[in-house]
Amino acid sequence: MGLALILGGFLVATFLMVVAKRITALIAAFRLQSLCLFLYVFGMALTQKHFELFVVSALVLVLKAVLIPFLLARIVRRIKVEEDLGLIVNPQVSLAVALLLTYLSYVFARSIIVPQEALRLASFVVSLAAFCAGFFIMASRMKALAQVLGLLAMENGIFLAAAAIAGGMPFFAELALFFDIFIFVIIIELFVYKVNRLFTHIDTSKMDSLKG
Amino acid sequence: MAQIPLLLIQTAFIIALAPLVSGFIRKLKDILRMRRGASIFQPYYNFAKLLKKDEVVSRNSSWIFAAAPVVVLASSVAACLLLPVSGIRVSAGVMGDMLALFFILALGRFFLALAGLDTASAFGGMGSSREMFISSILEPAAFVSLFVLSMNCGSTAAAALAGTQALRASTVVAGAAFFMVVLAETSRIPVDNRETHLELTMVHEAMVLEYSGRPLALIELAGHIKQAVLFVILGWFFFPAAAGFSWRALAFFAGMSVTGLAIALIEISLAKMRLFRVVDFGSFAFFIALLAAVFASMGM
Repeated sequence: MGLALILGGFLVATFLMVVAKRITALIAAFRLQSLCLFLYVFGMALTQKHFELFVVSALVLVLKAVLIPFLLARIVRRIKVEEDLGLIVNPQVSLAVALLLTYLSYVFARSIIVPQEALRLASFVVSLAAFCAGFFIMASRMKALAQVLGLLAMENGIFLAAAAIAGGMPFFAELALFFDIFIFVIIIELFVYKVNRLFTHIDTSKMDSLKG
Repeated sequence: MAQIPLLLIQTAFIIALAPLVSGFIRKLKDILRMRRGASIFQPYYNFAKLLKKDEVVSRNSSWIFAAAPVVVLASSVAACLLLPVSGIRVSAGVMGDMLALFFILALGRFFLALAGLDTASAFGGMGSSREMFISSILEPAAFVSLFVLSMNCGSTAAAALAGTQALRASTVVAGAAFFMVVLAETSRIPVDNRETHLELTMVHEAMVLEYSGRPLALIELAGHIKQAVLFVILGWFFFPAAAGFSWRALAFFAGMSVTGLAIALIEISLAKMRLFRVVDFGSFAFFIALLAAVFASMGM
């Protein structure tokens, strides 16, 4: 029952990411989502008494809930980016789309997992919904940083799916994955900084116009 | 039939306790702001003081202005009668379910809005218009989150909803949506501010601006009761009903104080939203409630 509640929190955090209008709110919602992911993996570690899962949950907490949001918040401060996200779909419609995606994930998941395993089904639905919502954020927000956060939300969704369906990936694969994500965020931070200095904005919809 | 005295005692208990809840929240806010503040019994003193005061009535007001406070108070008390308090299971359930309860509360709000318009003062009309705007935005969220409880237990009877299905993923998410509704319905900070009489921001206070003396006392008491009723309903989402009177009493008081604390924390840490941001607030609550419905259909 505790895990089901955490799943609810994870999905609500994902919806908060979808509805966020400002980049700081988006980062805060991502931090909340990662925190729910940490709680979920920690809960699984407690029930399965699996040492590696404890390590993984600690890594989730340190990297995704603390370090990555901190790095993103720092780049926001450094480039003094304007607060808006370049929404091309307004928050209400975004929420409706996210809800529709959640329902479609449920319809899809029901054809794969038997409904008797309610918790596993729900975990799969939630992870798929987070994946789709992250994709939607990437597609409908025009600022580079918002797209990065969309990608991170997708990654959280995939991670949740791996933890819930397969009981976690092989330990070294997970370590490598964390390292990848971390390096990715650092590179993106530098990249966004450079782009902002060169173009004076990070709006990806304006980047196809030539600049001499 | 044997339940009728118990029902009356329960309703009297809620009415007696309701101002204390308001005083408790105000005291918590004062403590969190490092102020000494008024005693938590201040709402009772206010009530007693207002009862002694004279009333000033505009020459241009009609019978609606005089009737509204009585109707508002009556609607709050009637809602109380339909309310099973955290699993005590005593309510006039045959008279109506939780939909009836909400429409009875809506009747009170309707008369308050009419009374705001009745004196034809600019503020009253503005307050009524805003109140109806806000309530029409929040009403879908309120009903969908209650329907999530209904989906879980297969009934809309208030006694069946009260705590039988609490603390599942769907009810907790629906509870989050309903909490947003409670914030708006009790005119709390992100939507409205009860502490201010600043003309451009007030909503609820603008409607009752023309009232003084005894009718104002009735309207304030009705507000306290409505708040207590909504807090009890919020408790349905989070506190599972179980056997034993002591557990129920504990769940009741825990629900009241935790809700009060959450509201106090939100009130001191957020700023009031612009009026048109309330649309975002309401639609977020609505979609969260729908999300809870998806959870409920998953059987969680």
